Amino acid sequence: MNPQILGVVVMFVATLLLAVPLGRYIAKVYGGQRVWTDVFFNPIERLFFKASRIDPGIEMGWKQSMIALLTINLIWFLWVLFCLLNQSWLPMNPDHNPNMTPDLAVNTAISFLVNCNLQQYSGETGVSYFSQVYGLMFLQFVSAGTGMAAAAIVFNALKDRTTDKLGNFYNYFLRSCTRILLPICILVAAIHLFEGTPMTFKGIDTMTSVQGDTMHVSRGPVAAFVAIKHVGTNGGGFFGANSAHPLENPSYLSNIVQMVAQILIPFAMVFAFGFYCNKKRLAWVFWGVMTTGFLILVVPTIIAEVHGNPYIAQMGISQPGGNMEGKEVRFGATASAFWSIATTVISTGSVNGMHDSFMPVSGMNMMLGMMINSFYGGVGVGFLNFFIYVILAVFIGGLMVGRTPEFGGKKVEAREMKIAMIIALFHPFLILSFTALASYFAAHDTNMGWWFADAAGKHNAGGWLNNPSHHGFSEMLYQYTSSSANNGSGFEGLADNNPFWNISTGIVLLFSRFLPIIGPVAIAGLMANKKFIPASGGTLKTDTGTFGMLVFAVKVIIAALAFFPALALGPIAEWMKMH
Amino acid sequence: MRSNRKEGLFKRELVADAIKQSFVKLNPRYQFRSPVMFTVEIGTMVMMFVCAWILAGEKSQGSFTYNFIIFLILLLTLLFANFAEALAEARGKAQAASLRKTREDTPAKKVEILGNMYVNEINIVSSSQLVKGDVFICEAGDIIPTDGEIIEGIATVDESAITGESAPVVRESGGDKSSVTGGTKVLSDKIKVQVTTSPGESFLDKMIALVEGASRQKTPNEIALTILLSGFTLVFIIVCVTLQPFASYAKTPIPISAYISLFVCLIPTTIGGLLSAIGISGMDRALRANVIAKSGKAVETAGDLDVLLLDKTGTITIGNRKATNFYAAKGVDKDHLIKCAVMSSMADETPEGKSIIELGGINPQSLQVENPTFIKFTAETRSSGIDFGNTQIRKGAYDAMKNKVEKAGNVFPTGTIEDVKKISSNGGTPLVVLENNVVLGVIELQDIIKTGIFERFERLRKMGVKTVMVTGDNPLTAKYIAEKAGVDD
Repeated sequence: MNPQILGVVVMFVATLLLAVPLGRYIAKVYGGQRVWTDVFFNPIERLFFKASRIDPGIEMGWKQSMIALLTINLIWFLWVLFCLLNQSWLPMNPDHNPNMTPDLAVNTAISFLVNCNLQQYSGETGVSYFSQVYGLMFLQFVSAGTGMAAAAIVFNALKDRTTDKLGNFYNYFLRSCTRILLPICILVAAIHLFEGTPMTFKGIDTMTSVQGDTMHVSRGPVAAFVAIKHVGTNGGGFFGANSAHPLENPSYLSNIVQMVAQILIPFAMVFAFGFYCNKKRLAWVFWGVMTTGFLILVVPTIIAEVHGNPYIAQMGISQPGGNMEGKEVRFGATASAFWSIATTVISTGSVNGMHDSFMPVSGMNMMLGMMINSFYGGVGVGFLNFFIYVILAVFIGGLMVGRTPEFGGKKVEAREMKIAMIIALFHPFLILSFTALASYFAAHDTNMGWWFADAAGKHNAGGWLNNPSHHGFSEMLYQYTSSSANNGSGFEGLADNNPFWNISTGIVLLFSRFLPIIGPVAIAGLMANKKFIPASGGTLKTDTGTFGMLVFAVKVIIAALAFFPALALGPIAEWMKMH
Repeated sequence: MRSNRKEGLFKRELVADAIKQSFVKLNPRYQFRSPVMFTVEIGTMVMMFVCAWILAGEKSQGSFTYNFIIFLILLLTLLFANFAEALAEARGKAQAASLRKTREDTPAKKVEILGNMYVNEINIVSSSQLVKGDVFICEAGDIIPTDGEIIEGIATVDESAITGESAPVVRESGGDKSSVTGGTKVLSDKIKVQVTTSPGESFLDKMIALVEGASRQKTPNEIALTILLSGFTLVFIIVCVTLQPFASYAKTPIPISAYISLFVCLIPTTIGGLLSAIGISGMDRALRANVIAKSGKAVETAGDLDVLLLDKTGTITIGNRKATNFYAAKGVDKDHLIKCAVMSSMADETPEGKSIIELGGINPQSLQVENPTFIKFTAETRSSGIDFGNTQIRKGAYDAMKNKVEKAGNVFPTGTIEDVKKISSNGGTPLVVLENNVVLGVIELQDIIKTGIFERFERLRKMGVKTVMVTGDNPLTAKYIAEKAGVDD
């Protein structure tokens, strides 16, 4: 087999093999069962709870949990905003990086708070080590923990019983951080250290190259940052070039480790659901649906990238490595293509190649991954998004067999449908309406005033596009899709560090993070409160391939019908022009 | 079947009425209740204005013919949805009308009360004029005009119009079988009935109200489905609205007609348009199967059925026990047993008695019986029979007969005791026959399981419904019947 393809298969299989035991471990952690990490973490957690005067034994309802989640997130936001706005005089700033502008600081703080990590700055010059470690890296941990804790509440609510007590949010949150994220991060960071990723608090290094030129090399506590960036599906790079940067992703091995690290927990969360609720078959069906979607996106992308660019082929240049523009030679076209889809279907958004230079098919598949946003999805939240589609599928399926729809022995009624529909609606609404706004301004080349100024100091909206026509449209669509999916990767090629883009994406980010967390938790909480009806012969079986197909169909219909017109004017039009 | 449906569904008046209704229903206030069709209607109106605009000289929207065709297609879509709903409603109305006819036009033979005595002065009045407390008479062939209670007489009544039970039932004064329902037909005999309900409250009235759908509410699933459809509609509104700036960025102007066509194609128009028709026709179908669905919600709940509790007698079984076998005691000629059994049942009008004669195959008239005295069944003796000459024949329950035999100093044969036990364990009822206090043998009475019940349970099981039989019978009988009928529990 082609070694490049083999490398991709190894990544995928390794992740699956690791994810099943990890899923069992996660289920035990949330179930409060004894696990081997108790020895280290019990004393630490006790200390935390004592200091914060929280009793982890108090069970909360879904509303209480959500209030706790929102308050604690608000406090984190204010703290990081403070760091970013004052980093020039705060300690640990050897390179003397300046304070962020307010709009950029708000955008960055929101973006890291919501696990998106849309970066409209470059790590080398934009932030100090203090902000990187105590602001951004801190948020990478806690935002991942927040998503996982929300998923844990949903798991708890889907157990076969009737209750309004769904466990303690703080307890889930802390355990997610300490017992799940931290150990994996330590492992991943250690491997990166051996591969040559720097871990230092010293400033820019200067070296003389072979040709005698002086080079300035930025460095910092990269290894630790890279670990949580992937394990928590955050994706915010230490350096501007993200995982394409040689110090952030030095080798093919580190590339594999980062790949496995980012898909690992999204896989494991699905299995954890199976172990926790004792619905293992259902968990495999869910995983199967997600994997089918993932493969449908990843295979054409790999093919497109390996075949290379037809324009270059027309010039008579052979492309043995495939489309290598914007890609790293040490990874190759296949691994980069695989990465680009993996990073978009789960909400990581880290890149090891420049998505702007990928083929139109790849660009469309990346966007589709984010538009559906639940083929695996981010840590915790991916499962929550998937849950919404499951509710919709259960409802449609239930009506097809002529029974009141039920999932896990609980009836799905008008109230749950209302919430599910709002959540499912919100994603296309945010993406399409904001893209429409941006393309309206771009089409009319509106004078944006303070909202936008391009490099030349002109204020016309047309200036934010580096590429005209369909590709420019794809850039705008991608930016909002990435924001709304809390993904954080960028198509780049868009002048996005300015008030218009910072503020509009900030709004999209906030809405698209917290509503899709509150919605599923509310549905699960309402369902948990209902009478449990044991399954009978007539109940719609959810743990079958047929139901899996139904869920898949619901996703495809919603995504395809809602986004197809937009995609047709972007990547599809571009592809037609190319061929 | 086809011609039958033609008569039912596409009767000329119904269709004409439905067509009229489908235009009336274009009223936006009415359409607003169904968000999907409401948006289609708005689209239609927009197209109408676009057509007018083109006629006024606008050039950018394409040709008038093209736009007008789109307008027509949209209008037809709307009309068709309205037509389907109106037709379903009209069917319900026609049914209600025929029911109402029953209620109003049934002549009632009202008995006028003079003093405290009922005299035979009978006036024929319309059933709607009967008030609570009135008394009327029904004879064979009459339709009972309204709900009431029998105060005199006994009659067989065909209640199939209301209950769907094809076999006529016996209604008689006194006891719990005394009530009759308006709309049912008296098949035999004559009864005197006192009206128990006020006009407008009878069973028929309630049925009319149901059929008319006057109290039709949206069912929980219908509400949830409406939410789903509205959600989809909203998504596609967004899609179509945002397409405008996208298109203007790509410098490909799209005419209004294309937006509206795209929109109508995307939204779930079909389901939205037919939703209410589906609900009504569901209730209508149930009604045709003689099931009265009190509301759409009831139909829905029926779909969620998991367990069906069934009464044994009359539901799983016919209810009338029939003689199925004779078992002679040791040393007794079977023919003699049959003869005696038939004789004892000569005057027995109960279905059991008749079935014994039937099974015996002897015409009771052919038997030489002089000066018979018939002994009727009483709860005390738990036996019945016939006395003639110095012969005394009795048939009755096992323990009562055993007492009688032993009192007379005779021995109850062990072979017969075994027969009795065997019959019981097979779900039957043993009737012991005595001649002059000597045991002749046993008649086996079996509760006959209705034909086709096994297959029906099989179908229910396939639908995931568990069947449970509830009965006051002895466990052995119950078990036997349950096994025979294929009941789950």
